[in-house]
Formats: sequence, structure tokens, C-alpha cells
Amino acid sequence: MTLAPESELRHVVVYLKDAPRTAAPTMHAEIRQRNENFVPRVVAVTVGSTVDFPNDDPIYHNVFSLSRTKTFDLGRFPKGKSRGERFDKAGVVKVFCQIHSHMSATVMVFDHPWFTVPDEGGTFELPNVPPGTHQITAWHERLGDTTMELRVEPGRSDTIDFVLPVPAQQ
Amino acid sequence: MKTPPRLLARTLTVTFLMVAVILAVVFVVITLDVRDRVRAAETDKLRVSENVFSALESKRQQDQVAAMATLAEHPTLKAALDTYFTERRFSGASDEQLRATVTGETAKLATQTPADVLAVVETNGRIFTSAGPASWRWPVGTKVDIPGGTQSVFQSVAVLSSGAFRVTGARLTFGDRPIGALVAGTSLDANYAQELSNLSTAGVVITVNGAVVARTVPDQVARDLVTSRASGGTVTLNAEEYAVRPMLYSGPARIFMLTSVDAAARTATRDALLALAMIALGSVLLAAVGSFWLARQVSEPINHVSGEIARMTAAREFDRTLELSRTSRELDALTTAFNDLIRSLDAAEAETRAAYLGSIRALAAALDARDPYTAGHSERVSTLSVMMGRVMNLPAKDIEVLRLGALLHDIGKIGVSDQILRKNGPLTTEEFEQIKRHPALGARILRQVPFLASHLPIVELHHERPDGRGYPFGLRAEDIPLAARIVHVADAFDAMTSARAYRAARGSSEAFAELQRFSGTQFDPACVEALLAAIPSADDIEEPALAQLLGRQLVTHH
Repeated sequence: MTLAPESELRHVVVYLKDAPRTAAPTMHAEIRQRNENFVPRVVAVTVGSTVDFPNDDPIYHNVFSLSRTKTFDLGRFPKGKSRGERFDKAGVVKVFCQIHSHMSATVMVFDHPWFTVPDEGGTFELPNVPPGTHQITAWHERLGDTTMELRVEPGRSDTIDFVLPVPAQQ
Repeated sequence: MKTPPRLLARTLTVTFLMVAVILAVVFVVITLDVRDRVRAAETDKLRVSENVFSALESKRQQDQVAAMATLAEHPTLKAALDTYFTERRFSGASDEQLRATVTGETAKLATQTPADVLAVVETNGRIFTSAGPASWRWPVGTKVDIPGGTQSVFQSVAVLSSGAFRVTGARLTFGDRPIGALVAGTSLDANYAQELSNLSTAGVVITVNGAVVARTVPDQVARDLVTSRASGGTVTLNAEEYAVRPMLYSGPARIFMLTSVDAAARTATRDALLALAMIALGSVLLAAVGSFWLARQVSEPINHVSGEIARMTAAREFDRTLELSRTSRELDALTTAFNDLIRSLDAAEAETRAAYLGSIRALAAALDARDPYTAGHSERVSTLSVMMGRVMNLPAKDIEVLRLGALLHDIGKIGVSDQILRKNGPLTTEEFEQIKRHPALGARILRQVPFLASHLPIVELHHERPDGRGYPFGLRAEDIPLAARIVHVADAFDAMTSARAYRAARGSSEAFAELQRFSGTQFDPACVEALLAAIPSADDIEEPALAQLLGRQLVTHH
């Protein structure tokens, strides 16, 4: 799978849309605050996971969310400090900085293990998908969702290509 | 014949005419030349003020853009909006609490802008929420087309079904990710037109798609502006010239600023004419005062001189000269000429008088010579009468009348025949009646000569007596003129002291006695007294003629 331009590649989450609720091990993710940006801008975790928000900038930052999935406000903290938040509900969580209105990040919380973020090359792998016909969705923070159908046979790998239309940069 | 105008009237007329001509020329120059200049100056003035306003307005718009860019960085509003759309996309459900948050924040921001409406517009162009006094004209869910609305900040005109709005907006973004736009709209209506008009002090017309939506100028002017399709410069609208300047050309909307050049020029021209009127009034007054003074300066000495001449003529005082007025060389020349004329007339008259006197004297002498006994009689009576008049202190004028009147007193005897005049012996009554006619006859002769009018009474009345028994009228005492009474006494005295054919001459003392005896009856007492006073000094008398004459008498007497 290829996404263009390269800067957009990591703002994508690919997941099984119709996956049944399945227990999965909790994770520990990190979104850093660097050069007045959230890095990375998109993370995907399992329910019960914790995401830390360390501040690398020599200025104060704030982390807050108005999402129904998880509403929180970590307050303001200086460089070197880190505050974390545990996500106990599946859904999408938008994270912002009250001080810098141009900063935003997305945390996607799933109640199953079949999700992934593509690597720098734009390729991804979803292991152990149960056999059958599935809706596979590629979510992009800006470009919207692209959903495709895939029939998975037991014991073998299948390849799927997503083409996300990138509008001309403004 | 028409009398010529007064000098004063003429001077005033000329002055007024000159002032009127000058004023007329100035008026024409002002209305033709200055009017154009005023018009050009006013047009320039309008252009300058429009430029100033345009600069201010452009600054105001920049400030609005900057303000919108600041407002669009509202963290809560952006977070709520982005979360709302992200969630709706992910789960299909919309969180009305987030919508309420966006609406609430927008309403708060709306109070910070002077715009009629502040709206959040989705990336698909639909109105997400709106606030402000005109929010009802921006209903939620309606699609608005904003030209240029995809720029990070923009200004343009949006046309909704509820009307046209001038909009200033800023995109709501997270980095390069757009989530919508924050738009402030100002309704293109009468209020906005009035506000612009107040700021620019010019008329404002707003059109959308060629239709007038707001105006601060008369309807016909706005309609003519649309019809003329003018985009600037000087245009004639509703029969008046307007300086038109486009202020906004955006999409279907146009905002024009216009000012009447004619109205501005009218005010300036009226001011100029008012000033001219004041100057005119001032110069007319000055001219009136000045010309009145000048005319008085000229006419007053002339009036004085002519008055003097009139007075001299009335009083017949031709022996004195007019004084020079010393006001003008011309008038003094006239006065001198008049004095010279009077002097030469005087000389001519004196010459005439002398010639007359000579003739009369000759006539009187010729008369006296008809009878040897009466030769020199008239001369002697004249001399005696003058002496008596001097004693009685008569004025010089009366003395002169006396002198000539006495010389002529017997002129009437020209009509008495020689036989009677030379008769040797007593006269018959008839003869005496003839003699008695000579005063009236003399008067009749002299009446022909106007110059001798004052001498006439002497000739006519020198035989009247104070007791009224004289002839020809029998007048009494004071009714007889003094000159006639004097000549009567002198005549009697000379007659008594002269020899006659029928008697010898009597001595003067005998004659005095005779006069005194009949003083009061035949002779006037005062005249007799005067004769008595005059004769004793006869020895040293200045008049050589009398001394000679009296000498003859005395010789005859002794």
C-alpha cells in the first residue's frame, strides 16, 4: 500500500470495522509534544491502555479532550514533565492543547486486536484475522475513511491496497 | 429750455456708472472664470478626501481581517468543532453538547465584533452556527457561497436569499487540516450605507447585481448611476455633476461614493458672490461719499461767487471787486475776468456819463445865453446847490444828483418864447402862465433819458413852495424833495443877485434878508440856513468857478 505524500502516511489507522469485541493485551503508547506539535499525531491502542504525553518543548503545554469516549484535561505542565491518561472505552478521542490552538492529535481505542498504523513505507500487516468476509477501513485524520471488503481464507495471507485521494494542498 | 443738471448730480451719476461697470465686469469674471476654477478645486478636494477615506477604509478592513484571524484561533471553539466532526465520522452519532459548545463560543465572540453576524461555516459550505443581530438571516444548515472562502483569511461579498453581506473571514485549521471557517458579515443595507456616508462625508450607493440595495443620495441619482454604468470619474446624474469613486467591486456587489461637484461649487461661488456684494456695497458707499465731497468742493465756491454776483447786481454795487476764492485756479481766473469786465464796464459808463454831462452842460449854457441877463445862471445855481448840500452833510451820491439836477433845472425854458423871456417889463397873466409851464416841460424832456431819472424831481419841482403856493402841483413842505427845495432857494438867491433888464442886481445881504423874510413860506428854512452858512465862507471857497461868479456879482453890485 502506498500513500502520498509521505507526510500523510503515518496519519492513518487500518482496522477491521466489524470485528467482534475480543480481549487484547493493554498497551503503553506515547504522544510527545515537540515543536508545538503532537508527535505522532495519530495513535491506536486497545481498551485499558495508557497514553503518556511528555513535554519536550521549553514552553508550557496543555492536553485536553472534549470527546465523549474520554473527556479529560491534564492541565498545564512544563518541559520534561509527562502526564498520562488511561482509555477504558472504545472510540475516537481528539486531543488538543489549550495554549496552542493549532495542535491536535487523535487516539483511537479499540476493543479488539485487529488494528494497525502503517510504517514509514506505508505498508501494514494485520495478523490472525479470523476467516470470513470482513470490512477493512483505512481511517485518515484529514482525508476521511476508505472501507473495502476482504474475504479471508484460513491459513493464508491476502493483500489489499488502499488508495486515499489526497486533495491539492491549500 | 431745459436747465442743465447740477454738478453734484453729474458727478454722482458718473461715479455710480463707473462703479456699476466695474462691478458688472467683476461679476462676469467670477461667474465665468472663477466658477470653473472653483469647480476644479472642489473636484480636487473631493478626490483628496476620498483618497484619505479610502486609505482609512482599507486600514479598517485590514484591522477586521487581523481581528478575524485572531478570533479564529479560539482553542475551545476549534476543539469542540473538530471533535464533533471526528466523532460523527467515526461513529455516525453527533454530540449535541459539542454543537452547543461551538454555538456558545461563537455567540461570545460575536459580542466582540461590530459585525451584524458571526458564523461558523463547515468545510462543505453549510452554516454550522451563527450569532449576532442578523443571525436570523444566516439560518443553520443553509449553504453559503463565499468567493475566496478557501483562503486562510478572506474578504468578499456573500449573497444569501436574505440579502447581500460584506464578509471578512478566517479559516479554522489545525496545521494544514481545515475544519471550517469563521465568518463575520456586515449587511449591505441602509445602515451600512449611512455609516460609510458618515465616515466619508460623501453620498453612498450600494448595488447588488445592478440593483440598488441601499443609498444615501436621492433615488433618481442612484438610478441614474446604475443606468450610466459609470465606474468612476465625473458623471452627470439627475442633471447634476457628480464625482464618483468606486469603493468596493466584489462579486455582484458594488459600493460607490459620490459627491455633487455642482453643490460644492455652488456653495463656494455663493460665498464669493456674497463677498463681492459686500465689496460692491462698500465701494458704492465710498464712491457716493467721495463724489459728494468732490462735487461740494467744486460747486460750493462757484455757488458763493454766483451768489456774490447776484447780490452785487441786485444792489447795483459795481464799484467793488469780487474776492478770489483761492479754491481753484479756474475759478480764480473766472473771478478775475469778471472783475476786469466790471472795471471796464465802469470805465465805459463813466465815459458815457462824462459825455452826457458835457452835452447837458452845453445845452444849459446855450439856454442861459438866450438872455444876456441870465448867462451863467444854471452854473451858478448848480455851484450854490452843491455848497448847500455839503453844509447839510448830504451823501456824495446826492451831491452829484444835486449838481447835475441844478444845472438842468431850467431846461424846460427851451419851450418858452424869447419874447416872454426877454420881455422888458412886467408879464401879463397869460405870459406868466407860459413861464410856469417850464418845470413840467423840462420833466417831459428828461423823462426820455433813463439815466436822468433821479434828477427829474429837481427839474419838475424847483418852483414848489413850503406853503403850497408854488407850481406846478402846489406841494407842501416835506412833500417836496429836499434837492428841489435846495435848488429853489439857490435859484431865488441867484435871481435876486443878478441884474435884469427891468431892474438892477441886489446885494447879497439884501437877498439874504429877503430869503429870511420868506423863510417857511416861500423858502425851506433849513435850506435858507444852509445858504447862509455856505456864502460867508465864499472867499476861501475851493470852487474857482463860484468865486469867479460871485465876484462878478459883487462887482455888479458895487
